[in-house]
Amino acid sequence: MIVALETRGVVKQFGGLVAVNNVDLVVPENSIFSVIGPNGAGKTTFYNCITGFYTPEKGDVLFYGESLLGLSPDQITYHGIARTYQNIRLFSTMSAIENIMVGEHSRLNASWAEAIIRTPRMVKEEKAAVEEARRLLNFVGLAGLGDQAARNLPYGAQRRLEIARALASKPKLLLLDEPTAGMNPNETAEMVAFVHRLRDELGISILLIEHDMRMVMGVSDRIAVLDYGEKIAEGSPTEIQNNPRVIEAYLGKPMSEYEA
Amino acid sequence: MKTQLKSSLNAGITFGIVSLFLYLIGFTTTASQIIQNLLKLKPASTVLGMDSLTFSFALFIGLIGLWAGVNQARSQKGQPFGTVLLSAVLTGLVHGLIVALAAYITGSLNASGVKMNTYLSQLLPASVKLFLFNQTPVLGALSQLAFLTLTALVGAAVTYGLMVSNVFGKLADAWRSMWKQVNAVPAIAKFRASPYFSYVMYSLLLLVMVFVPLRAGQYWNYTLGTVGIYVLLGLGLNIVVGLAGLLNLGYVAFFAIGAYTVALLTSPAPHGLVWNFWLVLPLGILAATLVGVLLVVPVLRMRGDYLAIVTLGFGEIIRILSKSDALTWLTGGPKGVNNVGGPVLFGWVFDDVSYLYLIFLSVLLAIFVTRRLQNSRVGRAWESMREDETVSRAMGINILKHKVLAFAIGAAFAGLGGVLFAARNQFTGPEDHNMMVSINVLSAVIVGGMGSIPGVIAGAFVLKGLPEILRELENYRVLAFATLLVVMMLVRPAGILPASRRKFEHENAPGNEGSKQ
Repeated sequence: MIVALETRGVVKQFGGLVAVNNVDLVVPENSIFSVIGPNGAGKTTFYNCITGFYTPEKGDVLFYGESLLGLSPDQITYHGIARTYQNIRLFSTMSAIENIMVGEHSRLNASWAEAIIRTPRMVKEEKAAVEEARRLLNFVGLAGLGDQAARNLPYGAQRRLEIARALASKPKLLLLDEPTAGMNPNETAEMVAFVHRLRDELGISILLIEHDMRMVMGVSDRIAVLDYGEKIAEGSPTEIQNNPRVIEAYLGKPMSEYEA
Repeated sequence: MKTQLKSSLNAGITFGIVSLFLYLIGFTTTASQIIQNLLKLKPASTVLGMDSLTFSFALFIGLIGLWAGVNQARSQKGQPFGTVLLSAVLTGLVHGLIVALAAYITGSLNASGVKMNTYLSQLLPASVKLFLFNQTPVLGALSQLAFLTLTALVGAAVTYGLMVSNVFGKLADAWRSMWKQVNAVPAIAKFRASPYFSYVMYSLLLLVMVFVPLRAGQYWNYTLGTVGIYVLLGLGLNIVVGLAGLLNLGYVAFFAIGAYTVALLTSPAPHGLVWNFWLVLPLGILAATLVGVLLVVPVLRMRGDYLAIVTLGFGEIIRILSKSDALTWLTGGPKGVNNVGGPVLFGWVFDDVSYLYLIFLSVLLAIFVTRRLQNSRVGRAWESMREDETVSRAMGINILKHKVLAFAIGAAFAGLGGVLFAARNQFTGPEDHNMMVSINVLSAVIVGGMGSIPGVIAGAFVLKGLPEILRELENYRVLAFATLLVVMMLVRPAGILPASRRKFEHENAPGNEGSKQ
């Protein structure tokens, strides 16, 4: 088994609050790995530790065996990690296709001087970039909407555009932060199928944060559960469904235990 | 009916307050003088039994009255003729009452010898008399009331007629269908779609730019030059604010550095270095760029308001340093630097026309560089930073590098502007570089349309060119600007010529206007 991402004892504190406490995870290559947990469990903080927006106080983050600690978010993107956001964060006045082209930034090389002179290399690169952006637009099913401003797209299309933008950097690992937030069951089912396509057609590993249990159980190969910053369980969807600690974290203890 | 009554009263009060305000600041007199000049009426002549100034005033106040009527008719669209007229009369009456009251009060105060211009400096006896159509207070006030009611009625009636017959709609349709037919001619359609169309347009523009300076005369060449330099500054600030989203309020600092570089290196005093202008030109740009890069270092982690305040302070620091006693040996102090050298090419000294060409050339260069950068990986990175810096980092964009780049290129344009400005005026001093320059350039960018090159040009014309054209409004310039800015932001919040997005998905689709420009 090739390991795409591994975290070892990651700790992140804000003052006295331990947001992420000693979390170990192993995400195998080409798998769909979900992190779930109640609100405020530290899931997004954990993401920010992986993508370089936060530096963990303790522990290490390894990507294909290489430590990501101390790298800035843009450098980590160059290593092959891309992400989406819980609350959609597109470049709202730019067109859909331009959003994707910003995502391609890390794969392009033209400098400002080349841009002014328009060297043949730069012209060729730009052409290929537009071509690739159109292809991705098609891939996520937004063909024909490319010249629309991102903020004018419908909600579901914005979610998919955000994924297309993340894919534009040709990542090896994609971090999705609640991709089905605010979606109805139909749209959620479409998103599940889409996440499978991402793995099967593009061969990338996926780390997923999700609230929607049905989505998580249907899509994941493996699930880890965070509560108060700690990993309280890890396993296959069925194992997690029957884990008493998970049920407790989500629903509270049974009344009988309080009475005792 | 009740709501209509209310809207008529409201409109009347609004127009009344506007007229009253224009009267109190003396604008009614100035406007009358302008109309008198525009119509080329001699001060001594009489028109329709009035002297020409009173006639001009009647025209002016009559236009406001008409406007009130037009406004009422438009807001009562779809109502029967009687209702429209009634509401217009009501508006006119309220408008007239307010104006008449003001006219009567000021008129009688004036007649009893109270000097109102001690309190309101523009309320001169002549103004008051004019406002009363040169009549007694009672007669003047009554004439105002009657006149404003009548004009409102006329305005509403005419507007109603136009709306019912839909004259403008028909004209627009006719124009549109004609335009369509012209475009349907295969040869014309093909020509418009071909790349040659833009070449022809550009050559026409170039011809205008070559010939206008030859015919315009020294004064207009000077004004055009100032506008050109502001376009240059605007293009630079457009990169920093419009594209990269870094609110820089101390932009004048880079302009000052360019100006002082050329001044100190080419003037006989205070350093006696009389270097060649062409050698100093790139040095000025380089100096401004370097300072731009240095300024980024402390402000790197700042965003929005904090960045604005720090840059504002930086701009002031440069100006205060340039006039400080401690640095007089270096900068010439508050007196500034005289006899700045201008460009000479093979023994031929640049006159106003050729200097204007030099400015135009610089502007074209700046437009070229801006366009190339905007449509590249760098431009997209800037715009993404403007939209969301955090996400932009997550896309692999090196924020530090792109901020430095934006500041450096913006500063380079400003440095070039400063060099051209100082060398043209043959002088530069601390007061050339006060905060108002930054504010004006920023206003030009915002009024024109952030991130849009045609917008910056339009904005610079509005902010630097219009005041020259409207010289007679000199006293009201600030008022006019403020009004213009407020109206602009309400009517066209994205600017006069907002940035249009390039089309990528359907680049070669027919009828695609976006990619042709």
